[in-house]
Amino acid sequence: MKEISVNALAVEIAGIRMKNPVMTASGTFGYGLEFKPYTRLDAIGAVIVKGLSLRPRPGNPGPRIVETPCGMLNAIGLQNVGVDCFINEKLPLLKDVKTPVIANIFGETVSDYAEVAKRLDSAQGVAGLEVNISCPNVKAGGMVFGTDPASAYKVVSAVRASTRLPVITKLSPNVTDIRVMVRAVEDAGTDAISLINTITGMVIDTERRRPAIANRIGGLSGPAIRPIAVRMVWEAASVAKTPLIGIGGITTGTDAMEFILAGATAVQVGTASFIDPDAAVKVAEGINEYVTRHKTSVAALVGAVGR
Amino acid sequence: MENLDAGIIYNKEVGPGYFLLGLDWRPLAFKPGQFVMLRVSDGLDPLLRRPFGIYRVMSGGNGVELLYQVVGKGTRILSLKRPGERLGVLGPLGNGFTMPPKGARVVMVAGGMGIVPLYPFAHEVRGAVLLYGTRDAAQASVAGDFKELGCPVRHATEDGSLGVKGYVTELLKEELTRDAVVYACGPAPMLKAVAAMAAGSGTQCYVSLERSMACGIGVCLGCAVKGGAHADAENKLYKMVCSDGPVFESKEIDWEAF
Repeated sequence: MKEISVNALAVEIAGIRMKNPVMTASGTFGYGLEFKPYTRLDAIGAVIVKGLSLRPRPGNPGPRIVETPCGMLNAIGLQNVGVDCFINEKLPLLKDVKTPVIANIFGETVSDYAEVAKRLDSAQGVAGLEVNISCPNVKAGGMVFGTDPASAYKVVSAVRASTRLPVITKLSPNVTDIRVMVRAVEDAGTDAISLINTITGMVIDTERRRPAIANRIGGLSGPAIRPIAVRMVWEAASVAKTPLIGIGGITTGTDAMEFILAGATAVQVGTASFIDPDAAVKVAEGINEYVTRHKTSVAALVGAVGR
Repeated sequence: MENLDAGIIYNKEVGPGYFLLGLDWRPLAFKPGQFVMLRVSDGLDPLLRRPFGIYRVMSGGNGVELLYQVVGKGTRILSLKRPGERLGVLGPLGNGFTMPPKGARVVMVAGGMGIVPLYPFAHEVRGAVLLYGTRDAAQASVAGDFKELGCPVRHATEDGSLGVKGYVTELLKEELTRDAVVYACGPAPMLKAVAAMAAGSGTQCYVSLERSMACGIGVCLGCAVKGGAHADAENKLYKMVCSDGPVFESKEIDWEAF
């Protein structure tokens, strides 16, 4: 591949310096280690790992996923090894990776969130936290916190008070006005905002006359949701004082540029990593091609589409 | 494990809706029972790769053959691909079969396209018995490949056009001796029945499972199946067909939930 020119791509989010604006979306990149045989982790801006909870979670019964036009619906149920296992067994194996590792955290209660944040605060090798208040696939917590501004405020405040690490809050698109949520989590002290998580959806197996996935409802991701995500980033940018990270159906550098032009400082690649484990690096290469061709830099283009 | 584009050498119908796909890709290493994730379209719809069992290394060794049946959108698109076109290949993936202990009497049970991963297995374990259940005689056209390997083949067909009329489990009853080891792949009801029969007679049994999956490398966590009584830690309640399997010992699976 062509060398990615450092200065034109470098961005900073809440003190986290990244060589390029491409992060991996939580839940689509495992604990990072799984991708070592397929991609150059060092060439990714930042790695965000699978959502971590206080105790291990088994996840939902199957079927958990179904393909949709240009996308997929999932209800994994935040299956994860738990924060302690992550710190003790996964994190040490990532220490040689020359890219920031961000832990995505999740709780069923406000105090769960605070406790997970606290445990990660003292862990070596965590560059920041991303607070998941937007998972649609669990009964308690998750999106409940992400669709009500007062609840979102409580969770983010509690996390903020429990860590010195940079705090990114991941917002749900399943709200009427994203700007209300942006203000709430900024008031609570978030350092940055990532959006969007999956959009709730449903697929019905007409032959069996029942929902295609066991959880009945799931989260829609992939290129199908990209225009919705771009619109929400653009709306969020109209009020946000903190940096935004755009997520939703990015598979190419051009896709990523839409989010950057709409107002995102960085982006996350999610579902695309399932199809090509090297997708995040390819998106970074695509962004490089774009800024080189236009003789500019990522930082200069954040929000350049205007209002 | 490789992530590359492979060229199609041939893609020919070998049975009703059955296609043999020859790719100019020779995996560096591959174990019987492993699979690949194929990208059947460069576009965004269908979006996900599809898992396919590796059937065999091409004679001459210049590539591999995958055998598939047209069942949905992805396989329909794949069936229209012509020689010279290229496909994204990720693999080989999964654990593959555990080889039977020396001296064991190996019984393979295949239902429909479940025949695919058993071919490379039979290639390594010469002389294993194949019990092959299909809808009709026409669907059983690849049985000849197994006969060439010296495998005794016994057929069961739903319409009775070949072998016994009925399900392949009818044939298994007579084969479930103490010294047998069963290797099964096929539709869920067949696997359930095989697992129950093996458990009943105390016979060791391996099953190769199929589930919808997005990634094939253990990260989307989409292909979960519930573990059996031996499932240990809380976060191991579910096993991933792609990365923990696709081959499991049948007692590892909760067949009630399957």
